[in-house]
Formats: sequence, structure tokens, C-alpha cells
Amino acid sequence: MIESMRDAVGMVLSELGSELDDLVVVTADVGRATRAYMFGKKYPSRYFNVGIAEQHLISFAAGLAAVGARPVVCAFSMFLMRAWEQIRNTVGRMNLNVKMVGTHAGFSDHADGSSHQSLEDIALMRTIHNISVVVPADVKDVLRSLPVIVKDVKGPVYYRVGRDYTPSITDNYDYEYELGKAYILEEGYDIAIMSAGPVLLESLVAAKELKRLGISVAVVNLINIKPIDEVLIESMARKCGRIITVEEHAIYGGIGSAVAEVVTQKYPVPMKFIGVVGYGKSAKNVKELWNYYGLNSEAIMKASLELLKLDVNIDETN
Amino acid sequence: MGSTLSCIEILTVLVSKYIRRSSDKLNRDWLILSKGHAAPALYVLLAEVGIIPREELVKIQSINSILQGHPDISIPGVDMSTGSLGQGLSFAVGIATWIKFKGGYGRVYVIMGDGEQDEGQVWEAMTDAVRRGLDNLLVIIDVNDYQLDGKTSEVKPKHYMPLIWKTVGWEVFVCDGHDIISLINSIDNALSCGRPSVIFAKTVRGRGLKPIEGTELQRVE
Repeated sequence: MIESMRDAVGMVLSELGSELDDLVVVTADVGRATRAYMFGKKYPSRYFNVGIAEQHLISFAAGLAAVGARPVVCAFSMFLMRAWEQIRNTVGRMNLNVKMVGTHAGFSDHADGSSHQSLEDIALMRTIHNISVVVPADVKDVLRSLPVIVKDVKGPVYYRVGRDYTPSITDNYDYEYELGKAYILEEGYDIAIMSAGPVLLESLVAAKELKRLGISVAVVNLINIKPIDEVLIESMARKCGRIITVEEHAIYGGIGSAVAEVVTQKYPVPMKFIGVVGYGKSAKNVKELWNYYGLNSEAIMKASLELLKLDVNIDETN
Repeated sequence: MGSTLSCIEILTVLVSKYIRRSSDKLNRDWLILSKGHAAPALYVLLAEVGIIPREELVKIQSINSILQGHPDISIPGVDMSTGSLGQGLSFAVGIATWIKFKGGYGRVYVIMGDGEQDEGQVWEAMTDAVRRGLDNLLVIIDVNDYQLDGKTSEVKPKHYMPLIWKTVGWEVFVCDGHDIISLINSIDNALSCGRPSVIFAKTVRGRGLKPIEGTELQRVE
């Protein structure tokens, strides 16, 4: 029974294991928590648990990749960041085919509190040359994207998923995953909301509410943070003239920054970043944290109404 | 320069006598210069065996040279981009694990520094290697008694390292890192012992270049 994105990751990997005999899964004493053990149960000889040793985890996986294996590393997003320099200096610099799945990202590890809630990982991974950054929204997105990433994408990828809370978001949307593409879930022409991960749900809710007020809102699933879909972002900027980014991540260096890097250089329009400032804290569920940190449909609506007050430069020819 | 000269015999012996080269990743040997700051020693040997042109050697670190200050896989004959200490052993454990799993005959040789033993990742890697029973993995530690800020005995003592490696489960050998016969004997013994092995090769920093020999000087002023 798939109840979360981490379950979906475990399931996809264990299914791919029979097809790909070079596929190996590597973890650091979080085989159960990341669902890496689902692969390990089926293919014990291709499942490597290195103990609580994240730096070794990354360099070890890099060695496996260098000699021809196809390693997928599974660890908590936060603690993978402990090996940032190993990722940068070995995996990135040598452009090795290491897939890194960071689970428990954002606020998804709600009970454990700020030590476990990774809100900086997108920023950290995005800066490393050669490394792609992928943030699926829900189980369906994992089922669409992870097989493609493991089978067809050559080179390192950081793949960010949460722990448990996984509302269904993209079930009713029809698109095939391709690295580097963004997907328009809802069309609109007043404002474009760009988001990724489970918090994309709040964007869709806000878009629906705003529609009732006569405001036309586009919603984009930015599943690929890097490489980013510059063409789509530029066309949304030209068409809507206002952009809001929503992320379960710090507002520094994350999705908002990635979009702004495109917008400011291709077609500058006003933007609002909705994300986190500061560290997380423990709470009884994810939604409680989203509300506490202002990651909800109300905040998105408020930001939309503020943006609508501004005169913007819409490209009528677009 | 000091660190290059302390490991030149180690590299000479490995490159000229032991490393078997091939395009078959599983059935060839890998040489990881984890102490990447000794890159010139590696480059000289790669030139000596004809893998890189000799003319490149004098161009080291210039912008148009293939030879960077630290090993990079863009350089022919280099198996790992190093320069950041403490990562080579983990990388080697990954390679040796897959070779063993696939039944290849390739071996992985790692050259580390004594100062490098300070890195926490070395502990993470050395414990994992034993657990995986990697009899195709040989580490040689260039014990030149210096690290960047001075003598290892003053910055952070290392005398207990052989004991630690042994306790963890490595087969530990000690040799004179400037004596070819001593090196060959230790390597032969290590390769036939059936366990992950480490050789502590006692060396002298800057060996052969009298003005800097046995000192922390980088070059002749």
C-alpha cells in the first residue's frame, strides 16, 4: 500500500531492481525510514547499509558509480546535506551517475522538529554544477518521474521527497515526466503561481478561490528545479505579468530564487516569494507547520491580491 | 613539494610494478591518490610510463595545462578527482565492493597522508571496508610526520593510528617508504593476506631535496 512518497520511492526502486541488474541502493542506517529496505529485502546483495556515516555514504556511492554500478542513495534530506562537500567535490565534479533521494524534506518530519526539517537543501544542491534537482509533488509524480530518472537520466540527481503527508495533487493531470520541464496544471492570465512538492496543493486551492473572485490564476508544477524550464517561465511572465512562488523551503536560494533568476533576465515582472524564514519546530502535523509559517492558500491569496495592485507589463503579443 | 617527495617511491613501486591498466573497469587496478596534494608525484610517473606527455610536466598549474594542482579525472591515468582530504578511501571502498560483487580481479590501491587521518570520514570508511571483507583493497599511508600547520606530533598525534586500524580489523604492515625492497615486501605480503590491508610507510618529508628534507618547508626558497 503506497501511502507516501517515500513508500512510492521504495516501490519504484524494488520494481526497477529486476530490470536493472546494475541498480544498487545505498543507505546510512535509515533503510526503514527511507523505505530503501523495500529494495534490500528483494535484492540483499545489491543493498548496502554503511551505518550512520553520511560522508562515506556519498563517496562510497560515487566509487560504485565510477566502476559501473547505478547507485541510488537514500537518506534523510537534512543529513545528506552533511555530505555537501563530498557531493560537490566528488559526485558533482566527476559528474558521476549517483541518484540521491532525500526523504523527510521540508516540514514533513513534523514531530522531530528543526534539527530534522530540511529547509535549505534545494538551495545547497542547486548550486552544484552537473547536479539536477527534482521535487515531485505527490505519489503520482514519483511514479512518473523516478523510473525515468533512474533508467534514462545520466548523471547526478538530487530527488527531494517528504515523509508521510502526501495529499493527492497530480492524479488528474496528464503529463509524462521529462527532466527540465515544468507542467501547467491550471491555465490563467492574471497571475502565475509556481510551486513544487506537497505544498503545491495550497497553490491549487488558492487558484480556485481566486477564480471565484474573478481572478485568473495559472498554477505550474515546477517539478524540475534544475535544469529549470526557462521557456515556460518566460512565457508565463509575459502572459501573466505577475509570479508567486510557493515552497516548503527557505526563501533564500530555493524555488523562488530559481524562478527569479530566469524572470529577471528574460522578462522582469513583479514576484512574491512564499517560503520559510528561519528554522522549523515540532508540531502535531505538517499542516499545522504550514499554517504557522504562512505556507497556505490564505497567504497565497493575500500575496496575489497585493500583486494585482501593481501595474504590470504584459506582453500582449504573447 | 615536501609531500610529493615523501611518497615518490611508493608511487613508483605501485605504478611500475603493480598497477594493471585496462579499459575493463572490473579487471584492472585503480590508483586513488587520496592525498591529492602530492599530485606532482603522480604526474611524473604517468609521464614516465607514457600516459601523459613529458612536456606537460613543466606546465603544471598553468591555465593551458592539463595538469591541475590536484588530480582531476580529466587527466589521463587519473582515477579520481581528489584534493579534498578523507574522501579517497570511501571512493575506493565503493569501487572494491562492486568489483568483488561482480567477480572482477581488479584491485584498488589508495595512498593517504598521515595528516589525512584526522578526517572523520576515514573512520567511516575504514570500518565499512572491514565489514565488507574487501581483500582487493590496499591502503598505503605516507607517514611523513607533517601536516599543513607543522609536525603531526604537535598538531595532532598519530602514533596510535596503526593500533586503531588493526583493532578495527585491518591487516597492518609497516615499512620504510623510501626503500623499494621494503615496499615490495610489504605490498606482496598485504596482497596475499586475504584481508583489507594497510601499510604504514615511514617516510621523510621533502626526501632528496636537502634544503627542505625533514622540514615543513614547501620549496627551496
